[in-house]
Amino acid sequence: MIRILIVDDHPAMRAGLTAVLRAEPGLVPLDAATSEADLWPTLNRTRPDVVVLDYHLPGDDGLVLCRAIKRQIPPPYVLLYSAHADAALTIPARLAGVDGLVSKAAPANELYDAIRRVARGERVLPPISRELLNGVSNRLQADELPILGMTLEDTPLAEIADTLGVDPVEISRRIDRMIKRLKVEIPTPRDAG
Amino acid sequence: MMLLLMTRLPAAAVAVLLLLVHRVTAHDPVLTIAVIAYTAFSLGALTLLPRLQLSALAWLVDCAAMLALVVASEDWRSPFYVLMLTALILPSTGLPLRRALVWGLTFTLAYLGVAVYTELDEDTLASTIRLETIATHVMVPLVVTLALAYAADVLERLRDERLRSERFAVQSERQRIAWELHDSAKQRVHAAHLVLSALQSQVSGAQAQLVGHALGELRAAGADMETSVAELRTPLEGRSVERLLDERAAELGPVSDAEISVHGELGELPAHIAAHVYRIGAEALTNAVRHGGASHVEVVLARNGASASIEVRDDGCGLPAIRRPGSNGLRSMRSRADTIGADLSIGPGPDGRGTSVLLSLTDPDARSSEP
Repeated sequence: MIRILIVDDHPAMRAGLTAVLRAEPGLVPLDAATSEADLWPTLNRTRPDVVVLDYHLPGDDGLVLCRAIKRQIPPPYVLLYSAHADAALTIPARLAGVDGLVSKAAPANELYDAIRRVARGERVLPPISRELLNGVSNRLQADELPILGMTLEDTPLAEIADTLGVDPVEISRRIDRMIKRLKVEIPTPRDAG
Repeated sequence: MMLLLMTRLPAAAVAVLLLLVHRVTAHDPVLTIAVIAYTAFSLGALTLLPRLQLSALAWLVDCAAMLALVVASEDWRSPFYVLMLTALILPSTGLPLRRALVWGLTFTLAYLGVAVYTELDEDTLASTIRLETIATHVMVPLVVTLALAYAADVLERLRDERLRSERFAVQSERQRIAWELHDSAKQRVHAAHLVLSALQSQVSGAQAQLVGHALGELRAAGADMETSVAELRTPLEGRSVERLLDERAAELGPVSDAEISVHGELGELPAHIAAHVYRIGAEALTNAVRHGGASHVEVVLARNGASASIEVRDDGCGLPAIRRPGSNGLRSMRSRADTIGADLSIGPGPDGRGTSVLLSLTDPDARSSEP
């Protein structure tokens, strides 16, 4: 049995996801949070195995929330569920510690499959191509590149800090900054200005 | 031009009247005919050939003709003085502020030359009143030019400002619609698709067919919305598909090792078909560069009367045996092809290497008339 928490700001999506997950044997949707505000109490109360997390949320986006969720002990697996699940999201998702990426346009069986694989500890992310890596490297500073390289090789934070001789808290702060710079921008109506 | 009509006609009438009531020269009848003929000719020519209203040569001819009339009247205090001033209207309003002033200054100097040529003698210079008259006569063309050029400049700036604010309003409105489509309508379509897709494995036969049909429609609705949102945010604005793909290739070039070439053209396509076709082509191109590991990518566009096609070929590693998790690219390409009724075939290249994505449209123009 895989216990799941849903985080999505749209009521239709929350209701749809809950219904679909409940219909599938072996998957148990525990609750659905709408944003960061009610995420923490729900997370503490339910202690899910997998969090199905929307990327685009009011306030902090899914990547920022994922970083915070992954600091829980023990950390749940996080499946980023997004309408923008294209390759460009892969590297910021890896940096944020996302375990899986599924498009909102995918049929239910793909979602079930991804949840089961993530819950087994597999990583369900598109492979990172050279072109993508080149594009991302151009947008990062020189001292951030080793952090990116080691993160993509699954080097633990403490080891990265050791190798670079920098405080782990500082490394963590730099990763936050890198995610911020690389995340996929979704224009809001305010951006018209 | 309206201003010219409104001033040149009365000015010509005044000139004719002055010539009739007062003997100016020995050849007044000739001058009268010349004024009437030139006024009719100049206004007629400028009305019939609006191009002339912006031609510096026409302005030059007009100014020269007016000065010639003043010379012919043998006096700088000519009955044609006001008529002459009307020659400044088009250059003052048609040129940018500085150049209009240069024009006015040159004209003023020319008029001063005419004044010296006609009658300006020591008598004139000795008398304060006559000196004041000449000063006024010389200054008026300059003042007229300045006033007109300034007004035209302000008008121009107002027009620009209004255009800018209108464009801004349209842009904000587009962003708002895109936001609503994306943030609400599309989320509901995704939710409906997800729920229905969970049902698919539990039904069979005719029912499965129905569910499959509904799923297809929902995917198409999602693809339509995606294109609409993209179109609202960065409209193609009537640019051709080949030009846009060229631009996309130029964007991808610097971050990849692949050599990208775009050949052929599609010609005119209905706007929403062009939008879908471009986005399918751009996705195929991006995939080839991003995942194909290709060293050459070729985009070939072709139009043959009623049918059009676009092929993206690469010499990369080919399609993965299993779909990449989380990826949305191929799926949205198929949905887009469905909504415009085009055939999309994705497979290995002709010699079994690389990937070929072929989109073919039959009769794109006829399809656009469907609702």
